[in-house]
Amino acid sequence: MKTRDMNLTVALVLAGMTSACATVAPQQLVDVREEYATSSRGQASQLTPTDLYDAKKALDKANTEFSEHGDTLECRDYAYIAHRKIELTEVKARTEADRQKIAEAVKSGVVVRDSQAKATQAALTSTRDQMKEERRNNAAATNDLRAINAAQNKDLQATVGQLEVEKQARLAAETKLAGAMNDLKAIAAVKEETRGVVITLSGSVLFASGKYELLNTATTKLDQVAEALKAQDDDKRMVVEGHTDNRGSDQINQPLSLNRATAVRDYLVSRGVESAKISAVGMSSSRPITDNKTAEDRANNRRVEIVIGSPGLSAR
Amino acid sequence: MMTKVTTLLAVLGLAGCASAPLPPYQIDQAQASIRGAEEVGAAAVPAAALHLQLAKDETLEAQKMATAGDQRAVLVMARAQSDAELALGLAREFKVHGDALKAGEDLKAVRARGNP
Repeated sequence: MKTRDMNLTVALVLAGMTSACATVAPQQLVDVREEYATSSRGQASQLTPTDLYDAKKALDKANTEFSEHGDTLECRDYAYIAHRKIELTEVKARTEADRQKIAEAVKSGVVVRDSQAKATQAALTSTRDQMKEERRNNAAATNDLRAINAAQNKDLQATVGQLEVEKQARLAAETKLAGAMNDLKAIAAVKEETRGVVITLSGSVLFASGKYELLNTATTKLDQVAEALKAQDDDKRMVVEGHTDNRGSDQINQPLSLNRATAVRDYLVSRGVESAKISAVGMSSSRPITDNKTAEDRANNRRVEIVIGSPGLSAR
Repeated sequence: MMTKVTTLLAVLGLAGCASAPLPPYQIDQAQASIRGAEEVGAAAVPAAALHLQLAKDETLEAQKMATAGDQRAVLVMARAQSDAELALGLAREFKVHGDALKAGEDLKAVRARGNP
């Protein structure tokens, strides 16, 4: 009997324990189980496996407590702790993910900065090379310019020297011309007219009456005239004009004045005056300088004029 | 045999009434976690501040229960420990997340500068 009573007591106790384990799990524990399942499928399993394992151990305690004692306060305490540990696991996983992002950003930043530094270095090197090339080109251009300048200076010096020589020659020629013209004024009338410089020689000094052969005494004067004409500028042209008084007809005076002018021209050419620059023309009595009333007037009208003028000068 | 059954019943029946003082190391661990959370600025992070306060409340509750001889004091202190650790984790996450955002912005700025 005692044995039977004892067996009954054990059966009752075991039945009581079994009934506690058979109760429905509290919602809190159910939620924690789901949380754990979710977390174990997420990034926590990769990033924070140790914390996830701690959470599992806490959940195991809650499950064990429930299976052994049912929905007790202790079971809920364990479930609470497991819930917090799962939360902590998730928090740590997110934190670790952020840390990895930071590391990746830093690494990428280093790569980008390194790339930028290399690009900057390359640009700098390129710029330096360009500057070197430009310096070389500038130096070459400078040398070329110096050579050009030197050549131009040389040419300029030569030109200046040549101009100086020409100037001196011109001065000498002008001096010579001035001297010749002054000497000429002693033997002939020299005056400036619009047609040019006019040298007037008296006919009586050069020719006998009615003749056109030069007197011996005339040649001395004409020699001086020739010197003055040779001293003229190269571009000057000269016309020898023969003039008579109004006695006699034009049939006589015209050829006489021309022959006299030609005789003078030919003599001057024989004394070195360039023939192409000097011509002769007979004016007869058409251009008297006085009115032919007196013997003196007529003597003045019998004359030879040598006109020195511009290249366009021609016989009238 | 009867003696063994009686002993088992006695253990089962008296288990809830036994005195269970808190182990000193457990109190130290919980308080260390609370201090750690406070040092990383948990009080200034709303989500962390909640768990920090829970941890403090549960610590006091556990100590009261221990004084009263309630064996559940150990588990309540463990709850305090888990809340304190979560507060610490949340506070750290807040700071690291901010750093991650800044690092992303910095990288974007560096890339925006582009190559010369």
